[in-house]
Amino acid sequence: MSDTANKTLLRGKRILIAKPGLDGHDIGAKIIALALRDAGAEVIYTGLRKTPRYIARVAVDEDVDAVGLSMLSGSHRELVAETIEELRAADAADIPVFVGGTIPAEDHAYLRQLGVAGIFTSEMRLDDVVAELARALG
Amino acid sequence: MAEQGKAINRRALGRALSRIADASVEEALAGLVEPPARSARRIGITGPPGAGKSTLISGLARRRLDRGRSLGIVAIDPTSPFSHGAILGDRIRMEEIGDDPRLFIRSLASRGAHDGLADNIPDILLTMDAHGFDEVVLETVGVGQAEYGVRLLVDTVVLVLIPESGDQIQAMKAGVLETADIYVVNKADLPGARKIAAELRGVLKIRRRLGATWEPPVILASAQDGEGVGALDEAVERHLEWLASTREPSELRRARARYHLQSLFARRIAEILESVPEILDGSSLAAGYRAALDHLGRRAETGNGRRETSF
Ligand SMILES: Nc1nc2c(ncn2[C@@H]2O[C@H](COP(=O)(O)OP(=O)(O)OP(=O)(O)O)[C@@H](O)[C@H]2O)c(=O)[nH]1
Ligand SMILES: [Mg+2]
Repeated sequence: MSDTANKTLLRGKRILIAKPGLDGHDIGAKIIALALRDAGAEVIYTGLRKTPRYIARVAVDEDVDAVGLSMLSGSHRELVAETIEELRAADAADIPVFVGGTIPAEDHAYLRQLGVAGIFTSEMRLDDVVAELARALG
Repeated sequence: MAEQGKAINRRALGRALSRIADASVEEALAGLVEPPARSARRIGITGPPGAGKSTLISGLARRRLDRGRSLGIVAIDPTSPFSHGAILGDRIRMEEIGDDPRLFIRSLASRGAHDGLADNIPDILLTMDAHGFDEVVLETVGVGQAEYGVRLLVDTVVLVLIPESGDQIQAMKAGVLETADIYVVNKADLPGARKIAAELRGVLKIRRRLGATWEPPVILASAQDGEGVGALDEAVERHLEWLASTREPSELRRARARYHLQSLFARRIAEILESVPEILDGSSLAAGYRAALDHLGRRAETGNGRRETSF
């Protein structure tokens, strides 16, 4: 994928990048945020260690087109389930949730069954993440 | 239709703000929000990039909430001219207040606006009014002339400077900068802040108008440690009271209407130049100008909002 083609893929989309859980590394989240920005998205970033309730509130106030959860810790199963539940409680079940980071393959089916719209593992190229996200958001 | 005292309908407000932010000029005109009878008091916080505006707003917001007020924050960050994307990072500094149910924070990208504000910002602020906030804080990146738009949109303008802002103070001395109602010299923990504050006080003394009844205070602050935030909160309160006792409401209405109309025209012209590129290929600039005027006279055939605009 050429650089210029990527530049407009996400134009006009508002995307929240959030980091639930207790791990203290957000370099991956920041790299993704910049890649989305370079593809034309307006990216809201929440910072480290946010609760699912807080993430849902920000998603609603900012009326984002997608929530991206960046996860490294082992508790992604619970955190993703809770975030989706909080979004539903906030009348925002229609906001798609994507998950990125170190997600073991055996958990993918479970996450999809929770309603996760896409899973981006840390081995994926940024260009491919952007392209797949753009396709999913239409 | 103010909803004073009721809980904020966050989902409805969030969506309404997107609709308005994305509206083309025609759509904005069609969906125009009538100014509600009781509008929020608006506080504009402006200043150079990285001056500490968001950090300061976090502390100020805590105090406004503690006064029993409901509060909306609209924070604008610049759109990248290369990708049209943006990182909206202001709310990261506002996490300490992020859970309060009477608070609503919305981040906006500047998109097509070139004055530090954002497309349709007058309508966005009217929408915040309609949802019944007692006060609305507007964060914008502003240097120099950029402060003009903010001045018209808000009641109280707070200009945040830092120890490195010497050039800006020189510009004020030369009279090319609009003055603010309240000045904050932030990062007072760094060297040079006191000197800047003293220079600023000197300039304000020179520029003081005869008979002026509001004397803009200069507050030394260290937003990071919460220092000076109480003084800012009190200065804002005093200024709002002073305005209520002195201002001619019709004058303000006219000034705001003027800015609103001007910004609609500017955007409509940008829309035309984008959708009818032939105008730029004409034989002369004068011909292009007349052709653009001609298009301006017509109603837009389609309400092409920004998500559909071709580029
Ligand atoms: N030394 C010092 N640093 C501060 C102070 N207040 C804020 N900062 C730091 O300055 C940086 C910018 O702070 P922000 O509050 O994001 O500034 P801003 O003006 O909102 O920035 P933009 O919205 O990007 O223009 C951050 O790293 C803050 O921690 C202060 O009082 N002293
Ligand atoms: Mg800021």
